[in-house]
Amino acid sequence: MEVEVTFLTRRGAAVMRRSQRASAPRIGLGRGTDNQVPLADIRVGLHVATLSPRAGGMSIEKLGAASLLVNGHSVENASIAPGDEILLGPYRIEVLETPEGCDGAIQIELAQPLGPALERVTAGARIGLERGGGKRIYAWTGFLLVAVIALGAPLVIFGGKLMPPWHRDNAAPAVPVAIGQIWDTGEFSNAHRFFAADCATCHQGAFQRVADNACLACHAKVGDHVEHGMPLGAVGERLSSLRCISCHTEHRGIQGSVIHTAGLCLDCHRNLAETAPAAGVKDIGGFPAGHPQFRATVVADAAGKTTARVELGTNPPPLDHPGLKFSHAAHLKAGGFPALGYKEMVCADCHVPESSGQSFLPITYKNQCERCHELTFDKVALPWPGAKVPHGDDIGIIAAVWNYYAGLALQGARDAPRGLAEPLADRRGVGSPGGPPAAPPAEAVAWVTDKSKTALGIVLDDKRGCAYCHFGNGANGIIDSAKLLASALPPRGDQPRFIAPVELRTRFLPQARFDHTQHRGMQCTDCHASREAQISGEILIPGIETCVKCHGTENAELRAQSTCITCHVFHRSERGPMRMSQETRQ
Amino acid sequence: MSVSDRFTAAGLDIRPTRHESFLAYNRFRFLRWATVLVLLSIALYLGVRPYGQPYGGGWAGYTLGTVGALLILWLTWFGYRKRTYNSNSGRLAARLSAHVYLGLALFFVATLHTGFHFGWNIHTFAYALMCIVIASGIFGIFAYAHYPRQMTENRESMTTAQMLGRIAGIDDELRNVVMPLDDTTVAAIERCIETNEIGGSAWRQLSGRYPRCTTAAAIAHMEAIAEGHTIVQEAWRQTLVKLSEKAALLARIRRDIRFKAMMEAWLFLHIPLTFALLAALTAHIIAIFFM
Repeated sequence: MEVEVTFLTRRGAAVMRRSQRASAPRIGLGRGTDNQVPLADIRVGLHVATLSPRAGGMSIEKLGAASLLVNGHSVENASIAPGDEILLGPYRIEVLETPEGCDGAIQIELAQPLGPALERVTAGARIGLERGGGKRIYAWTGFLLVAVIALGAPLVIFGGKLMPPWHRDNAAPAVPVAIGQIWDTGEFSNAHRFFAADCATCHQGAFQRVADNACLACHAKVGDHVEHGMPLGAVGERLSSLRCISCHTEHRGIQGSVIHTAGLCLDCHRNLAETAPAAGVKDIGGFPAGHPQFRATVVADAAGKTTARVELGTNPPPLDHPGLKFSHAAHLKAGGFPALGYKEMVCADCHVPESSGQSFLPITYKNQCERCHELTFDKVALPWPGAKVPHGDDIGIIAAVWNYYAGLALQGARDAPRGLAEPLADRRGVGSPGGPPAAPPAEAVAWVTDKSKTALGIVLDDKRGCAYCHFGNGANGIIDSAKLLASALPPRGDQPRFIAPVELRTRFLPQARFDHTQHRGMQCTDCHASREAQISGEILIPGIETCVKCHGTENAELRAQSTCITCHVFHRSERGPMRMSQETRQ
Repeated sequence: MSVSDRFTAAGLDIRPTRHESFLAYNRFRFLRWATVLVLLSIALYLGVRPYGQPYGGGWAGYTLGTVGALLILWLTWFGYRKRTYNSNSGRLAARLSAHVYLGLALFFVATLHTGFHFGWNIHTFAYALMCIVIASGIFGIFAYAHYPRQMTENRESMTTAQMLGRIAGIDDELRNVVMPLDDTTVAAIERCIETNEIGGSAWRQLSGRYPRCTTAAAIAHMEAIAEGHTIVQEAWRQTLVKLSEKAALLARIRRDIRFKAMMEAWLFLHIPLTFALLAALTAHIIAIFFM
């Protein structure tokens, strides 16, 4: 068959036609050059369709998978007549009137040309990260997100007082607490955690610092630092202008809200001798360097109950004057006292820790001395058992001895004058009225007096008696027994005291606290040179040189870190309350 | 005094003819300023210890915090001013130099302000945002110092438009040379022409990896059918040559895109997080003084 094929090309308004004749039994269409009608577009298959002669015209048959549309209908094969329109990939084929000498005619037009290649490549490329104001959208989204969550929400929660009051017995709602924690500046101290969900416990108003009142709600009884009314001048004003939060910080971790830094104390204590002489404290520049030698409070005069401050660490050591003759070294004698049947003594025989273990129970005759130092006088020189004088009762001693011999006389002792044991003739019933009792026989009184004088001479002496441990009220602290016995018998109620008063201190460093439980691993003698203490009243409280063997500065690496409040207490409850509520600054 | 200083002082804003990096601007003037600022901050931190542990409060803490906050505001202002080129307040290079060095100094000022206390709260969040902004800025400095040279070397004096034009040309040539080949091959080449995979998602641009590259697929296809094409051997060979040229060109343009993306990507952290930081900073300051 022979077909006239016209290729139609449009360039703007211009239309160009190029005709040729294709001759073959079957006219092939496709990309392949072996086709009678080559379609030079790679979107078209190698062989897509064939035209075949048919009675009175042509038919078209599809080859391959690409679709073939004839007058808008997808077909496998179809008869075509002039005027039909065939769509084959990007090509539109029109069937024309058959010219002379041909079996048919078609006009082919590339209806969907490929776009300009550069435009297509450029349009397909997506270069650059910005897409429709991306950064700006992200920026404002982030800004709003943070502003709402971190600023708006907490303001509403705190401003609207939506935080749960801690003292009410209800569970803290999770969302307000979580949002509140956004503002939390740090970990709470352990002591305050139980109400930490309610910020308003401490933060009582917007843009206000925590007022002392908030603290005093719980800590009303906290003690003052100085004696009330002490004239301290500018330092005093500075002290009273301090707020609780000047020294106590919160949100600084679980270890607590007390500032340990020595500088907090040293800012005032560095030159108090000059700025506040009334305080009577020495200047301190730090610890260990800059800390003055410890001063112990000792008894200056037991009778007058006066004390004195003495510096420790001197040689010979300073003396206490408790009104007792006592030697630690004599008591701690190696090997003990075999003649008396006592084993070697240890510190704990006398020094019994109090229940907390921090300190020791007061030394008393009853608890510490009596076990070895009984006040019997029968063992010493007298043959009668059970004779004992009371401790702590001067008149009682004389009365006890007198009464002892008076009793012996009544019982008819071996050398007692006769007659006392005879029953009195004028006996009356108990409680019946009568005259004054008859005076005892003079010879019996003389015998009892004589016996008592002899016994009391021993009871009061400094070998076996009171003066072994005690001072007397006589000259140079002696018990002048000769003078005493000349007037004291028979005993009278108005007899003046003849044993000097005793004043034993339980604490020698009242401005510091020392916790023995914290030093449990140490031996007593590591700090207290008891075995060397020969002299009565010799103080065994160690000086600073003993402490600094183990304690260093607040930043020490190879010593126990020690700051002012390791040993000293700021709030002294014995000095009254630190803040009255009405004094509280807002 | 440098030459440029003298001219500036005389009111003649003559720019140096030789290119000067913004980092070295005016003999590192702002590096010196920033160093002084950091040293002062460290001295303040070490010299003025508050009672207890150092923290954001106390006068040293508040001073560092105020300086830090003002720096953040000023550095942010730079981003705004950078867009107004006709501004007279100093040269862009000067401002960029100051931005870089004072931004680096800000990290030290703010870190000292924290007193090294961190927690899960807005305060540390603001600090973390600031650190990310600064870190992204540092990457930006690196990008500006590093990638332009890489780009120049990679392009070999071709522009992007030229590279794209060459790809378009190859596409046209491919269309011609592929004609005699079989349908499957033509389909593969057609895909290669239709879809070039130049750029695309942010990840594609930044990674430079294009696993669905149609050109690579076409080359693979061509190699797979290498046997048994004696008749169209020449067409096959020419197609493969064109494809290889296109692949090389695509690799080059994709590297170019990757360098560009790297120079651009850090700004997607730097700018949005700066805005988030401004909100966090406001919340931080209000939280501190509100409570």
